[in-house]
Amino acid sequence: MEQSSMNSGEFPAGLRVLVVDDDVTTLKIIERMSVRCHYCVTTCSEATAALKILRERKGCFDVVLSDVHMPDMDGYKLLEHVGLEMDLPVIMMSVDDRTSTVMKGIRHGACDYFIKPVRLEELRNIWQHVARKFLNESKEHDNSSSREDNDRNNISSAAGATKGIVKEQKKRSNLKDEEDVELENDDPSTSKKPRVVWSVELHQQFVSAVNQLGLDKAVPKKILELMNVPGLTRENVASHLQKFRLYLKRLSGVAQQQNEMLNTVPGTIESKLAAAERYIQTVAASGYVSPETLAALHAELLGHPVTNIVPTVDRTTLMQAFEQEPKHSGADDHDVASGQPLAKYPSNIVNNFPQSILKVDNSSLGYGAWPPSDTLGSVSRGSLGVPNNNMVIDILQHHQKHQHQQKQQKSPIHDQNQSINVQPSCLVVPAQSSDTFQEVKSVASVNKDCSFSRNAIIDYSQQSQKSNISSSTSQYLGRDTKSTSISPLMSSFSVGSSNSNIQQIQNSTSTFGAARPLPSLLPMTFRQVPYDIKSSDSLDQVCLRNPRFVGKGNHISSFENEIESSASDFSHMKVFVACNGNTVKEEPKEEPNFIRYSNVNHPVLYNYPSHDHSSAST
Amino acid sequence: MNRLLSFLFHQGVLDEQFLQLQQLQDETSPNFVSEVVNIYFHESEKLLRNLRALLMERELMDYKKMGIDLNQLMGSSSSIGAKRVTNVCVAFRVATEQNNRVGCFRALEMLEHEYCYLKNKLHELFQIEQQRDLAAGVRYPVQN
Repeated sequence: MEQSSMNSGEFPAGLRVLVVDDDVTTLKIIERMSVRCHYCVTTCSEATAALKILRERKGCFDVVLSDVHMPDMDGYKLLEHVGLEMDLPVIMMSVDDRTSTVMKGIRHGACDYFIKPVRLEELRNIWQHVARKFLNESKEHDNSSSREDNDRNNISSAAGATKGIVKEQKKRSNLKDEEDVELENDDPSTSKKPRVVWSVELHQQFVSAVNQLGLDKAVPKKILELMNVPGLTRENVASHLQKFRLYLKRLSGVAQQQNEMLNTVPGTIESKLAAAERYIQTVAASGYVSPETLAALHAELLGHPVTNIVPTVDRTTLMQAFEQEPKHSGADDHDVASGQPLAKYPSNIVNNFPQSILKVDNSSLGYGAWPPSDTLGSVSRGSLGVPNNNMVIDILQHHQKHQHQQKQQKSPIHDQNQSINVQPSCLVVPAQSSDTFQEVKSVASVNKDCSFSRNAIIDYSQQSQKSNISSSTSQYLGRDTKSTSISPLMSSFSVGSSNSNIQQIQNSTSTFGAARPLPSLLPMTFRQVPYDIKSSDSLDQVCLRNPRFVGKGNHISSFENEIESSASDFSHMKVFVACNGNTVKEEPKEEPNFIRYSNVNHPVLYNYPSHDHSSAST
Repeated sequence: MNRLLSFLFHQGVLDEQFLQLQQLQDETSPNFVSEVVNIYFHESEKLLRNLRALLMERELMDYKKMGIDLNQLMGSSSSIGAKRVTNVCVAFRVATEQNNRVGCFRALEMLEHEYCYLKNKLHELFQIEQQRDLAAGVRYPVQN
């Protein structure tokens, strides 16, 4: 823990840094700089891999340096995850020095923002963020302890008031009823301020508590009582709640932004629609969506302001598609019907629709058995924080509850009018182990909803591992999968998964028929839609070129080899350099205007298509 | 070699970041600079190829994607200290933001030009360095 490194006399030496950047050059440079600063550095070229490492080795890092623009996951998303799950200081890096970008980083909670090129001096300073965080937490605990002391005399030892933190400071040791309960993943070091690590389960409990109370009424104290986790303090909950609220706000803000964005980018509507269509196909393929539900949803969504970008013809075709639904979804079985291609979906409806789709799928999971079908694959997890989704979610929850109770598939769901829990329940995607997943069935529908979402999300992120365009998957499973990729755009909260779930999901995803990755189909999150729809192989190369590489760098082959390979790679550039006066071993034969020089003293000439052929120099 | 280096600095091909790189090289990683530069070449060539492919598209020009590649190229170029390349990238980025196809083309050409120049010069630099090391290596045992 950082405390140990702090206690050692050479702070900030030994600071444990995780660097995430898709650009290998920068990665190597920063790694070297960190070594120079005597840090313990781990490098990672993929955000998903980085999250995996962070989760596996919780408490092994003090600070995270992350690039902003990365292909597999948005840097901001990673930032949020780290902040929420591990509460580590995160520093963003980018060559982008625009104020808006920097501001965005700050809003997402970055501790600092470096403009590339990062200099050694800047790197030397990052310890201050670690120190600051550490000190702030101390202060927090101090405040809480004094307050708790006062309270203790008056209040009976409710679960929430119990302060069972390991290794208290001496001045707090007079708390008699403190239990020696280990917080999850707490590091039994000589730390004075044991830090609460918001594990997935803990977070899930938190979320369900919040949902039960209602986001508006969620007070830390009540949440604490509901959660009933020994050793958790009101302050822990309070700070976590604050973060949670910020997160939700951000999501709703972003979703609205993207709504606007969609509406203002007509040029890419077709691509969006096409992607949406494929997406809808997969959703329809799930077959779980009963026609009534879908129709209700559809009506719901269409009720939302549809901008003039989308021609009304889309709507009619969509309705037709819905009418086709009864054909295959009427049966009371869990088999997945083959997908019926829905018509092109209005792009701005896509904005909202996936959220509801998510719910629909979730409801279908209410049967308890994990359908070995592709229901999950089509789910988007974009159901966060968009206020206009209340009704949709209501409908879905109704559906879900109803189904669960009656164990029947066909039911007029949308008639029911049960009260619905707070919308944020659907927002968070808690992770649960499969065991608890089963148990949760009988609990409030909210929880179930969440767990469904979670599994759906897990599925998604698995698929998205292969996604090539910068899709913003917000969850990462830490599993490699070979399933086809659909890039989800869900910005969900936390991920954790047990093996069994993943296997189930893998089964389902492998049957999932989506042919082409749908990068960022759903503009749910911070990624702009037109950005990513098209997937090209060239980008594949760029983004997927790096195998997960964790650890201290990769070794470059010798100078000579490097030159040769680069020469043969590069078709446009006809530069070629002889090594050490040796003649060139390889020559691209198809380049007639290739000029080679074998002597160092001669300047190299280079030709490229647009320029005139210049003769060899001196 | 110092002459070449100072020449490159003077021209603005390289900047202080390159010096930082050189400072990072020491006995524990004696070939650091050349390693990093080679990685850089490898990656940027891919990026440049992508950019050219994207620009060659007849119909819909994906400026966003170009922006991504460009961003990465800019990041690595600036980390290396390739100032002129970075500057051209900046201009390129402006062109993509304005959806200016012609501007992008011009910027790409300039980019390729600058890149080639940089690559050649750096190769030269490394060769000189290698030769110097070889020469120095030969001398030491004799001294003993």
